Amino acid sequence: MTGRTTGGGTTRGRTTAGGTTGGARVPRRRTAAGHLLLALLSLISLFPVYWMFASSLRQPGHIFRQSLLPWPLSLESYRFVFDNLDMSALLANTLVIAVVTAAGQLMVCLLAAYAFAAWEFRGRNILFLMFVATWLIPFQVTMISNYLVLSNLGLLNTLAGVIIPNLCSALAVLMLRQHMQAFPRELLDAARIDGRGSWTILWTVVVPNLRPVLASLSILLFISAWNDYFWPALVLQRANSVVQLGIRGFLTEEGDNWGALMAASGLACLPVFALYMAMQRQVVDAFVRSGLR
Amino acid sequence: MFVEVAVPTAATGTAIPAGTAGAALVDGAVSRPRVSAVRPPLARRMLAAVPPYLYLLPGMISLALWTYKPIIEAVQLSFYRWNLLPTSPRIYVGLENYQRLFTIPQLRDAAMNTLWYVLGLVPFAIILPTAVALVVRDLSGRSRTVYRALLFLPVLVAPVAAAAVWRWLLDPSGLVNHALGLGAFNWLREESTALFSILMICAWQILGFAVLVISAGLTGISADYTEAAEMDGASRWQTTRWVTLPMLRSTLLFMLLMTVLLSAQWTFPLIDVLTQGGPVDSTTNVYYLLWEFGFRSLDSGLASAAGVVFFLAFAVVAAALVKLADHYSFADN
Repeated sequence: MTGRTTGGGTTRGRTTAGGTTGGARVPRRRTAAGHLLLALLSLISLFPVYWMFASSLRQPGHIFRQSLLPWPLSLESYRFVFDNLDMSALLANTLVIAVVTAAGQLMVCLLAAYAFAAWEFRGRNILFLMFVATWLIPFQVTMISNYLVLSNLGLLNTLAGVIIPNLCSALAVLMLRQHMQAFPRELLDAARIDGRGSWTILWTVVVPNLRPVLASLSILLFISAWNDYFWPALVLQRANSVVQLGIRGFLTEEGDNWGALMAASGLACLPVFALYMAMQRQVVDAFVRSGLR
Repeated sequence: MFVEVAVPTAATGTAIPAGTAGAALVDGAVSRPRVSAVRPPLARRMLAAVPPYLYLLPGMISLALWTYKPIIEAVQLSFYRWNLLPTSPRIYVGLENYQRLFTIPQLRDAAMNTLWYVLGLVPFAIILPTAVALVVRDLSGRSRTVYRALLFLPVLVAPVAAAAVWRWLLDPSGLVNHALGLGAFNWLREESTALFSILMICAWQILGFAVLVISAGLTGISADYTEAAEMDGASRWQTTRWVTLPMLRSTLLFMLLMTVLLSAQWTFPLIDVLTQGGPVDSTTNVYYLLWEFGFRSLDSGLASAAGVVFFLAFAVVAAALVKLADHYSFADN
C-alpha cells in the first residue's frame, strides 16, 4: 500500500492510459510518417555505437574497408588493447571510483534529504537553497582551489582525490527529499509513537519504502561517475589510471590504430550498456526524474 | 525523535504529539497549564533541535569544503597574480586580471562560440525532441519503448568514447567522407566545419535525454484537456498548438535553462579530446578558455577572474529565464 504512492507508479499508469486513447485516434498515414521519422532518428542514434563495435571486431588489415558488416571477425584489436594498455587495471580503477562515489553520494544525500523532509528547523530553507544552488556552480570555477587543496593533502594521483570532493550531489538531495515528502506521514507518526528513534525510523520505515527511487538514483550516480572525465583527468593526470584517460592517451599515441581505439572505447562503454540492458526501466526512470525535478 | 518544537510557530496541534510523545501528554493532563507542557525546558528543546543538523552535517561539510570555500577563494585569487606554484609568491594586482581578461582577443571568440553552441543546441534539446515526443506518444506500447530505448543509447556513451568514435567517423578516410564521396576532407581540422561537427556530436548525445524529459512532461498532461478540445471541433494541430504546448511550457523552459547553462559543459570534453579549441580558436568555448588559462598557462589569477565573470554571466541569464518562467506560469492561471 505504501510503496505504490511513489511518483513513478502514477506516471506509468497515466502513460498507458494516454497511449491507448491516443493510438485509437491517429490515422494510419500519420503513424507511418511517425515511424519513418523515428526509425531514421533511431538509426542515427544507434549507428555510431554499432560502428564502434563493428570497427573493433574487424581484422586489423581491413579497418579502412567501409563495408557495413565487419567480416571476417577478429578479436585482434582487443588483444592489442589488453597488451598495450593495462585495461583490467583501468576498468578496476574506474569501477572503484564509480561505486564508491555513488555509494558515498547516496549515503550523504540520504541523510541530508531526511533532515529536510522530516523536520522543520531554523535555517531549513536557506540550507536547502545552498544544497540546490551547487547545481548551478560550474566545476571550472571551483577546480583551481580544489586542485590546490588536494595537492596540499597529497591526494593528487589517488583515487580518493577523485572521490572525496564529489560526495554531495544536489540532484540526489533534491530527488530523495521530493520522494520522502510524498511519503505518508501517518507511517512516520506511528513509528514515532512506538518509541522508535529517528535513526531507526530512517532505516526501518523510510529506506525500505524508497527502494525503487534509491535503485534508480544509484544507477544514475554510478553512470555519471563512470562517465565523468574532467575531474579524474585533473586529479589523476596519468593515462594509466581510469579508462577514460586511457582512451585519451591512446588517442594521441595510437591516433591511427582505429581498431584498437574502438575496442578500448567499446570496453569503456560496455559496463554501462550492460547495466542499461539489464535494468532499462530503472535507468530511464532515473534520467527522467533527474530531468523533471 | 521527530520534533517540530524547534520552530516556535508550530501549531499546537502538531506540537503536542510531536513534542515528547508520552511523558508531556501525561504531564499536561494532570495539573500544569498546557503551555508549559508543550514547551519543555530550554536545554531539552535545544537537544531536540539538534537531530536535523546532525543529519545534514556530512553534506554541509562536503559543500562547505569543496564548493563554497573554493568559490570564495576563486574571488580572492582573481585579485592576485600567481602561477600556482607553492614556492612562488602571490602578488596583489587589484583588478588587473579583469582588465587583462577583457582585452584578450580569444575571449570574444570563446564567447561567440559559446553563443553558437547554445543556439545550435536549442533545436536538438527542445524543438526536435518535442516533435519526437509528440509522435512517440501516439504510437503503441511496444514500438514506443523500442524507439525511446534506441534514442537514449547515446546518452550513456562515455564522452571520450563518443569523441573517439566520431573522430573515426569524421576521419579523412572515415565513413562519413566515404559515404558522402568527399575524398579526404578533415572535418575537425577545417575552421569552417569544426564547430559544426562538435555541435552535431553533442546534439547526437543529448537528443535522447531531451526526448525522455519532454515525453515525461507530456504524460503529466491529462488526456481530458486534449479530448475536450477535440470534442469542441479543434483540429489536431490546433489542439497541439493551443492546448498541449502551453501546458508543456514549464518542461520546455526547464530544457531551455539546461541548454543555456550546460551547453558549455556538454561540449567541453568533446573540445578537449577532438580539437583542443582549434583550429584557430574556432571551437573553443568560455570554459575551455578558462581551463587553458588555469592549467596550460598556469595563470591562476586570470582563470579565477574568468571563472567569476562567466559564473555571474550565466547566473544573470539563468535568473532572467526563471523570471520569464514565473511570468508565464502566472499568465497561465
